[in-house]
This record gives sequence, structure tokens and C-alpha cells, in this order.
Amino acid sequence: MPQAPEVSIAAAPEGGYPVLEEGLRPAAASAPTFKHSRLQRLADRWAHLGFLICSLLVVVLIGGILYFLATRGLAAFLPLAGNTGRALSFSEVFLSADWAPSSDRFGILPFIAGSLGVTGLALLIAAPAGVLTGVFIAKMAPAWMRNLMRQVMDLLVGIPSVVYGIFGLTVVLPLVSRTWLADAPASGFAVSALILAVMIVPTIVSLSTDAFESLPAALDEGAQALGSSRWQAIWRVLIPAARPRLLTATVLGLGRAIGEAMAVQMVIGNNPQWMALMRESTDRAPFLRALFTPAATLTTELVQELPNTAAGSTWNNVLFAMGLLLYLLTMVLILATRRLGRGKEA
Amino acid sequence: MNAAAPVFRRSRTSKIVDRLMRGVLWAIALTFVAVLILFVGAILKQGWPVLNLGFLTKMPETLDAGGGIKPQIFNSIYLVILSLGISLPVGLGAGIYMAAYAGQGRALRFLRLCIETLAATPSIVLALFGMIVFVQAMGWSFSIRSGALTLALLNIPVITRVTEVSLLAVPRELKEASYGLGATKLQTILKVALPYAATGILTGLVLTAGRAFGESAILVFTAGTNASAHFPDFRLTVPGETLSVHLWYVTSDGTLPDAREIAAGTAAVMILVLLTLNLLVRLVDRAIRRRTR
Repeated sequence: MPQAPEVSIAAAPEGGYPVLEEGLRPAAASAPTFKHSRLQRLADRWAHLGFLICSLLVVVLIGGILYFLATRGLAAFLPLAGNTGRALSFSEVFLSADWAPSSDRFGILPFIAGSLGVTGLALLIAAPAGVLTGVFIAKMAPAWMRNLMRQVMDLLVGIPSVVYGIFGLTVVLPLVSRTWLADAPASGFAVSALILAVMIVPTIVSLSTDAFESLPAALDEGAQALGSSRWQAIWRVLIPAARPRLLTATVLGLGRAIGEAMAVQMVIGNNPQWMALMRESTDRAPFLRALFTPAATLTTELVQELPNTAAGSTWNNVLFAMGLLLYLLTMVLILATRRLGRGKEA
Repeated sequence: MNAAAPVFRRSRTSKIVDRLMRGVLWAIALTFVAVLILFVGAILKQGWPVLNLGFLTKMPETLDAGGGIKPQIFNSIYLVILSLGISLPVGLGAGIYMAAYAGQGRALRFLRLCIETLAATPSIVLALFGMIVFVQAMGWSFSIRSGALTLALLNIPVITRVTEVSLLAVPRELKEASYGLGATKLQTILKVALPYAATGILTGLVLTAGRAFGESAILVFTAGTNASAHFPDFRLTVPGETLSVHLWYVTSDGTLPDAREIAAGTAAVMILVLLTLNLLVRLVDRAIRRRTR
């Protein structure tokens, strides 16, 4: 493709030729081919401005969300005039497991641990299943199965989180409780993670299908020419080759899981004291017990308590700090996907 | 090095492993098919006994059994339309800018980063933002307008992305021909590129509508958990509980004696609506493909 010299839009000749995307420009870069009327030029310029404003709005939004969450979230740690309570220290919020807002104790460690725990468990199921389904769709399934899987994933991703929640509440919880727990309540990490896994699998599947489909065909053909079986080609050539994008898919799935609120809130049991409960328990299999202990996460606690707190109270501010934490986490994850994708095609 | 030696060993075990893993992959994929069928089946089965004309056309009860979901249906549709009305122009504009104006440099990369971040932002975080800005700072409290504006934030990145992708898929020859005929950039975008990309954008729009229809976290904190007692209430200042919020609220609130039935019925209605939307997209898609083939 002939590389035209970089011409910025601002420097285009008056009423000049249109600048096309992707470095494609009219061959004669110096002479405008058509004279456009004043009205056309004006409309062009105003439209350009309008489109620019629309995209700037998105940038402003990203900053605005950060600003407003920070003003409320950080207020918990600052001795501000509008606060009704005292200023907290970072360590008593982020490093303490003691959540008792009515007694002025605001340790959010149980929610951070809860979010990480439920997300980790969900990924443990969804990441391998998602990647393998991706490679299945891209490299193994016959056409009818490929189509069927696409439709299944489209539908799974379109189901609202409250419907996942009600399914978990009315179908999965009773089933698990009846079959494995001798009718003891089953809410907790295990069922939440299972529901979450189904919710994030479509994201991982569709991104990893893309990843496998965009690999050069020569890789697969080469492996087969060297005598690989289908699975050997997948396991030793295709998956390693697609790895950066598979990791990106997993990270985006992680982001979805950690931010999900309603479905998890409906099945996790909403117990902010779950860590204390675990510590006191003398159970022989603490991990297994933790799976079925009612717990709470950053998002579920927000849904649970935000409506009951007064704006400006320390309690309310700490809840907003939890929201800020979620937002910062999103940003870190997105930047991480950039890192992972670097060196590959953007 | 012996170049003739095969790189992959085809032993008996490798053949068995290959068989086994093919089976595993099929099993995983079929599990998801089964999960979906089970899921939709269970929701519809639970909701079926509740679904009747009365349920769809009655006002909800606050304490007694037998309430309907008429205002929630209205609010769901109203909020989806309003939020799309806000996010469509912004998303289209931003998508057009990214596809046709932003070039290939740092500006485009930064814009993409912002869109991706907004798309990945948890809806509960958007809810907090909407609560601070619209509900509290603007003093709009829990209302349709707070909800619609916050919901629009959820839609904008999706519409932007769909617009950008659909526009980039427009064949270069079409655009070149348009410029060759003397069209300005704006004319090329409006009269050549957008009509070509319209089907892609429309498909994306329907999917966005489905997502907005199912959204609950945002609306609990911005549109509230109450529905107006008037019907139909087009005012933007009243609280607007939607179907998804209603489903969540009756389940977690627990004052209704028939909360379970109401929730089951509401879930079934939502699934039916989304299945219909999905079918619609598929039919449109198929019709278009047949036409262009």
C-alpha cells in the first residue's frame, strides 16, 4: 500500500479532498479533485466537530466516574466538613476483617476476599471450559454444531442477571442442599461461583473462538503435516500460539465476574461476618465448609446496604470506597489486557 | 538432527488421548447446550402457571397476593426506549468518529481504551455514579430520568463499538466511488457508509436493547423499586420500577405472600421477551444474508 505523508485533518486543503481512514488517500495529494460548496464544507466541519464531541463525551465519562466515586469514596478517609463520622485510616478499612458499621468498625477485607474467592472459583470452571469450547467451535466442531454453539452462547449471554439469580435461588440451591448437604442451606461460594461461571463463559468462549480463528491456517496444517493428531495440534500448537489472546479473554471474563452484583447477591447468603465464622469453626475440612458458608462480596454488600445508609455518613462513604475499588480494578484489568495483547496485533 | 523423524509421536497412547480429548470437548460443549435448555425450561415451567392475561394487565399488590406486572412492563419498555434514545446519537457519533476521523494514531488507541473501560465497568459502579450525579446532585431522586440517563451509560460503549466495527466493514471501493463522484466526507458517511452498515448497527441495537431490558443493578439505585400508581405514566420524574428490578425486589423484600409466583412469572416473561428479540435478530440476519448472496 503506498504510504502517503501524514496529513492531519486540520491541515487538509481548504474544502479539500476527504481524508480516508487507514492511510488510504487519493493519489494526487496536492490537488483537490472537487470543489465543494460553502454549505457542504460547513456541514462537513460541523459534523466532524459533533462526532468528536460524542467521542470526547466517553472520555469525560471515564474521568467523571472516577472523580465522583473518588470524592465520595475517599471522603471516608479524610476529615471533611460534610462527614458525620470520624476519618478512617486505610489499614482499618482495607486490612481489617471486622465489619460492624453500627459499632463504627469498617473492615472490608471480607468483601475483598469474598469477591476474589467467588471470582477465582468461577474462573477455575469457566476459563478451561471456555477456552476448550472456543477451540472446539473454531477447530473441531462440524458446521451445524458450530452454529448451535454460537446460538447457545448468544442466548446465555443475553439472560439477565436477576434471572440467573432466581434460577440459582429456586433450582440450584435446593438441589444442592437436597443432594449433598442433608438439607442444610447451600448458599455460599460454591453455588455463586457455579452461576457466575455460566454467566461469564460466553465472554471467554466468543473471545477465544476469535483467537483460534484468527491464527494462521499454516500453523494447524503444519502441525498435521508433521503427523500430529487433532488434539496434539490443539494442545501443543494452537493453544500456545493463541495464548496472549486467551489470557485476554480470561481477564475480561474475570472483570465480568468480579463486577456482577445481582445474581451473586441472590445466592451467596449475604453474611459480612463470614470470615469470623470461618475462623471460629473447628471444622476438619475448612475449605469445603467455606464453599457452603453464606458470605458476601464487594458488589453484593453494595446492593445489600447502600439503600439503608444516609449520604455523608462514614458507612455510606466506605460503601462508595468499595465502588471506587471496583472501578480501579476494572481499569487495571483493561490495562492488563493491553499489556497481554502487546506485540501481537492490536 | 534427523529431518525425517516425525515431530509428533503417534503412539498408541497419543491415539487414545486424542479420542479421549475429542470426547471431552464434545462433552463440554454439549453440557452448555444442556445447561441452556435446562435453564430456559425450568424458568418457563415455573412461570407458566402464573402467566395469564390478568398477571400481565393487573397493577401490582403491595401486601396481598394476586398482583400483576402491568406498570413494570410499561416501565421496562419506556426505559429501554429512553435510554436508547440518549445513547444512540452519542454511540453513533463516537463510532463514526473512531471509524472515519480518528486516524490510526494515539488518539484512536486512547479512545478505544476509554470505550473498553466503559464497556467493562461493572453496572453497579455505573449505578453508584448515577446515584451521586443524577439522584443526589441533580436532585432528581429515584426517577425515570435518572434511570434512563444512567442506563444510557451502559449502552453507549456497545453501540459505539458496533458502529465502528460495522463502518470499518464497509468495502473500500464503495467509499472510493463515493469520493470519486465528488461527495464530501459527510455525504459519504451518511449516504454510503451508514446505509451499508445499517444492518450491523441495527442488530447491535437490538442486542443492546435486550441488555438494557435485563439490567437491574443500575435501576435499583437510580429508577427505584416503586412503580407509579397511574397507568400509563409517561412522567420522567416518577420512580420507574422495571420487570428485572421487580423480580429482584419481590424476591429479596419478602412482604408479598406470593413473591415466589410473581418472581417466577416475571422471569418467564423476561425470558420470552429475550427469546423473541433473539429470534428477531436471527431472522433479520438471515433475510439480509439471503438478499446479499
